[in-house]
Amino acid sequence: MQTVTETKTKRNIMSSAQPDDPEHAAALLALVATEQSRQAFSELFRYFAPRLKAYATRQFGNEQTAMDLVQETMTNVWNKAHLFKPDRGSASTWIFTIARNIRFDFLRKNKHRQHDLSADELWPVLAEQNESLDDDYALDDDLLMQQLAVYCEALPKAQRTVIELIYVAGKSQQEVADALGIPLGTVKSRTRLALQKLRELIQSDD
Amino acid sequence: MIKFHPSEEHLFHYVTGDLSPAMLMMVGTHVDMCSQCQRHVQHIEEDLAQKVFGQRQLPAEFAAANDSFADDAMLARIMAQAPQPTSMVMDKSPTELVLEGKRFQLPATLARNHHRIGHWHKLIGQMWRAPVQISGEDVLTFIYMAENTRVPEHTHKGNEATLVVNGVFNDETSEYRDGDFVFLDGSVKHTPQTRDEDCLTLAALDAPMHFTSGLSRLLNPFSSLFFK
Ligand SMILES: [Zn+2]
Repeated sequence: MQTVTETKTKRNIMSSAQPDDPEHAAALLALVATEQSRQAFSELFRYFAPRLKAYATRQFGNEQTAMDLVQETMTNVWNKAHLFKPDRGSASTWIFTIARNIRFDFLRKNKHRQHDLSADELWPVLAEQNESLDDDYALDDDLLMQQLAVYCEALPKAQRTVIELIYVAGKSQQEVADALGIPLGTVKSRTRLALQKLRELIQSDD
Repeated sequence: MIKFHPSEEHLFHYVTGDLSPAMLMMVGTHVDMCSQCQRHVQHIEEDLAQKVFGQRQLPAEFAAANDSFADDAMLARIMAQAPQPTSMVMDKSPTELVLEGKRFQLPATLARNHHRIGHWHKLIGQMWRAPVQISGEDVLTFIYMAENTRVPEHTHKGNEATLVVNGVFNDETSEYRDGDFVFLDGSVKHTPQTRDEDCLTLAALDAPMHFTSGLSRLLNPFSSLFFK
């Protein structure tokens, strides 16, 4: 599997594709992530750096600040390429959101205001884990998560369906309500009852 | 289904980061809760990325920009660093908000900013508020209304944005549920109230409330306390 991907990405590099081709850009990022390929990074840099500079110069009207933004953005691309998730969007969109975050922090950097927001508190583009917080309900501990499958069998069917859609399929409560054609309040109460029941089951097992 | 969404303009400026910090938190929290706006945000990001990176040829005025990279000094500097795949693991900060024994799960944006949430204070009747400490002119605050609670009729000198985090409330015109985002300008008078369900909302205000009716006018001196 791994070798197939590598052969494919290597072939892409040899072709005449440009980094403005999304598949090619994603393949280059994958090479930077998996083998720190300097060739792949150089190709990305030559395409994205001048365009980032044009963007940053329009934003800041200052060449030095613009170059700082280019350097910081491309440094993140070099260091954090493994955080790029091709299924979530294109490489250029990912690089844009990194630049957007850096611009946001640059604009606040010298003000030193109390309680300032930082870009990654708003948009965790470069967080190592940013999936786990998305659920409406976060389970208390990993143990519960692991044993869930077993204990779920003991739940009434309606509750089990809701729990599976939320915790296994990763749907939000609203999406579950829409999918099952039931009110959001019902999804909430079923989730609450199910989690209560699951905790009881786990505690009685200890 | 979520019925009330931020405007196109709010979403665009959320993506670029050009709203007040309080409004960025409000819109970000709505986006966490709303798959429709998540898709919308993604499209805006793609459009902007296309504008910045899409052109095969750099515009003439920036063709010279290439010169800055001609010697590849920056490229060499970056690649001289060993890639550091670690760092910036998000702390597992608490994701719950607790009030009077009730626990509310916070959407991701609020969970990441849990450290900004101050203590709950009881207001009039069965209402509580907890400030969210954030820079900027706007005030950002949680407001919790127990069942069967009514806010005295009021207008605002400025704008008010309200987001339902959990529960349901009504005013004269509509019913608002989880994820609904309501933006009111200063001209609107309204009387939010809960019925048989309680409601946790997040509100951003750019000026204190101004009570308009009967006895509740007595509350006006109190209103700056209420939201500052
Ligand atoms: Zn929405």
